[in-house]
Amino acid sequence: MGSEVDGSRAREALGRFTRRQVLELDTCAHCALCSESCPAYAESGDPNHAPGVRSSRAVRLFNKHFDLRARLFGPRRISEAEVSELADSAFHCTLCGRCMEVCPFGLQTHELWSRVREVVGELGGTPPTVGMLGGMLEESQNPYGLEPDMRLDWADYTDLDEVPEREEAEVAYFVGCTTAFKGVNHEVAFSVASILNRLGEDWTLLGEDEWCCGSPHLLSGDEEGARVFAEHNVAALESRGVRRVITGCAGCFRVFKWEYPRLLGRVPDFEVVHAVEYLREKLASGELDVEPAGERVSYHDPCELSRLGGVVDAPREALGYLAGDFVELPEHGVDVRCCGGGGLLQATDNEMRLAIARVRLEQALELGVEVLTSACPACKLAFVDGVRAFDMDIEVLDLMELAARQLGLL
Amino acid sequence: MNGVVAALYAFFVEKLPYITIAVFFVGVAVRLRRWLSAPRDPEGPPFNILTALKYVILDLVLFRKTFKSDRWTWVVLVLFHVGVGGILFGHMRGFHLWTAEMFAPLGDWVAEFLVHTLPVYMGWMFLATQVVLLFRRGSLENRQLVSLPNDYVALVLLLVTSVLGQGMRVFPPEAVPPEVYSVVFIPGLIVLHLEKVPSHHWFFLHVLFTQLLVMYIPFSKLVHVVSGVVTSALYGSRRREYGV
Repeated sequence: MGSEVDGSRAREALGRFTRRQVLELDTCAHCALCSESCPAYAESGDPNHAPGVRSSRAVRLFNKHFDLRARLFGPRRISEAEVSELADSAFHCTLCGRCMEVCPFGLQTHELWSRVREVVGELGGTPPTVGMLGGMLEESQNPYGLEPDMRLDWADYTDLDEVPEREEAEVAYFVGCTTAFKGVNHEVAFSVASILNRLGEDWTLLGEDEWCCGSPHLLSGDEEGARVFAEHNVAALESRGVRRVITGCAGCFRVFKWEYPRLLGRVPDFEVVHAVEYLREKLASGELDVEPAGERVSYHDPCELSRLGGVVDAPREALGYLAGDFVELPEHGVDVRCCGGGGLLQATDNEMRLAIARVRLEQALELGVEVLTSACPACKLAFVDGVRAFDMDIEVLDLMELAARQLGLL
Repeated sequence: MNGVVAALYAFFVEKLPYITIAVFFVGVAVRLRRWLSAPRDPEGPPFNILTALKYVILDLVLFRKTFKSDRWTWVVLVLFHVGVGGILFGHMRGFHLWTAEMFAPLGDWVAEFLVHTLPVYMGWMFLATQVVLLFRRGSLENRQLVSLPNDYVALVLLLVTSVLGQGMRVFPPEAVPPEVYSVVFIPGLIVLHLEKVPSHHWFFLHVLFTQLLVMYIPFSKLVHVVSGVVTSALYGSRRREYGV
């Protein structure tokens, strides 16, 4: 018999499922209607990666401590093998929330799977590559373990003229770690900053005072860690009198807009907008005047911006000004098929991440797309890595880069 | 019918209903305790009754999402649930919640069809859809899903109950009494009024399995009939908050 998890530890961990989540676990009919839509299961074909199987495994563990039998006769043992099985399922998931979109009962799986990750973490099942994140975030306030003073290196690399770090400003550009630290995204930051400069905004960067938004904490199941980072970022922004926070990262946007109020128990004293919403606003008002691109352009909805963030129309309206030949990808909007870049999948199974990205890239190529845009640095990274890995002929740009290019800024 | 069987059948009608009701309500209490003893959720999006209704109707009544993702399963699910509804409605006649005369204005032929012919076909359809769903589950087992024992127990109980119920229609009745035949489960509360005395074995076994099913509902996956309404309404509220 394999090793077992300590009973009281298991009870405490499993007791973290909230009322709604227990209700959801009980409601899941294990009907498998979500399986075919899951990008992770579609690539691996491993039943353990199917969302419904994750639900079965999670409720089975929960029942060992909280069903009627456990209440009458005491909890049953949980083996480490069971925890590993659930961990394998929970971390082979991009947390894209597509299973929620097809679930007949509308189970809010994005949050449910995050909770499963938290439970798995407390039972010692977090994969080591994900577990390392916590240490790096604590030490460097970013998930890449890079020195905080490297946060503005993108400005040097891109020769950005004006890099404001003000004590007070109306607008703050929250760059986000994957944009600031990943070279492939430096021009995204440059594009946003250049557009803010072009429009003469009273804006600032937080520089080293910008900490990770807390998304990796939430994705790895560390809600408390996310809360600490949320408190820091909100204090840094509010102390500068910022009224509007602009971010080009879909993950940062979702966490700032939808998770911070929950984590902090209050709505921060500023508005949160994604850069594409800001861009749409400025294009529609005529403050920015662009020549549309001649290439065939398409747009991939980042899951965290569309399905989990509520921003679906703004990028398309912006592309109405930016692209002369726009085609819609299949499986778009709130029903978007994930690019593979989410859920920390790169840390647990990069091959799966690339295979998922490949499907999306092939969908674009079939439509003759020359420029595939998105509005998330993780999506761009996944697509760029996919293009390199599979030697594909398609240009990958963030929508803000396309805008900067058409404005003659890039 | 020998004495033991007769005593057993009498027990199914005269005593078991009390046990069934008690087990059902204890089960509901256990289930509610399980949900309510979990930690509260952080404050969610504001609840809007119209949004909730919209999502419940679209997703649970019309199975919109299943229609989008899997047309064949949608057809089977719709027929299965229509079967559930039809059979529940049909049983209400036996409990005098409606009468055949209600359909008289539609004409004799229509009334005859609705009251006597349609239920037979609906019974077959209900059975067929259950077999398909059971087969579907079996064929996807360990490929796309991992069932819990109660996923099968609920389906099998329902199937056995339905087979026994349909058997009552197929096998000849014991007798056609001059007056309506009443089966008193709980005096003054649950009394079944029948036009024919059904085949005894099929009837009493159907009564037994129906009660086993009712007892099992709160402990089974069938709670989704209630909990699914809540999750669907909450999902609708979230979608409304996101503006999508």
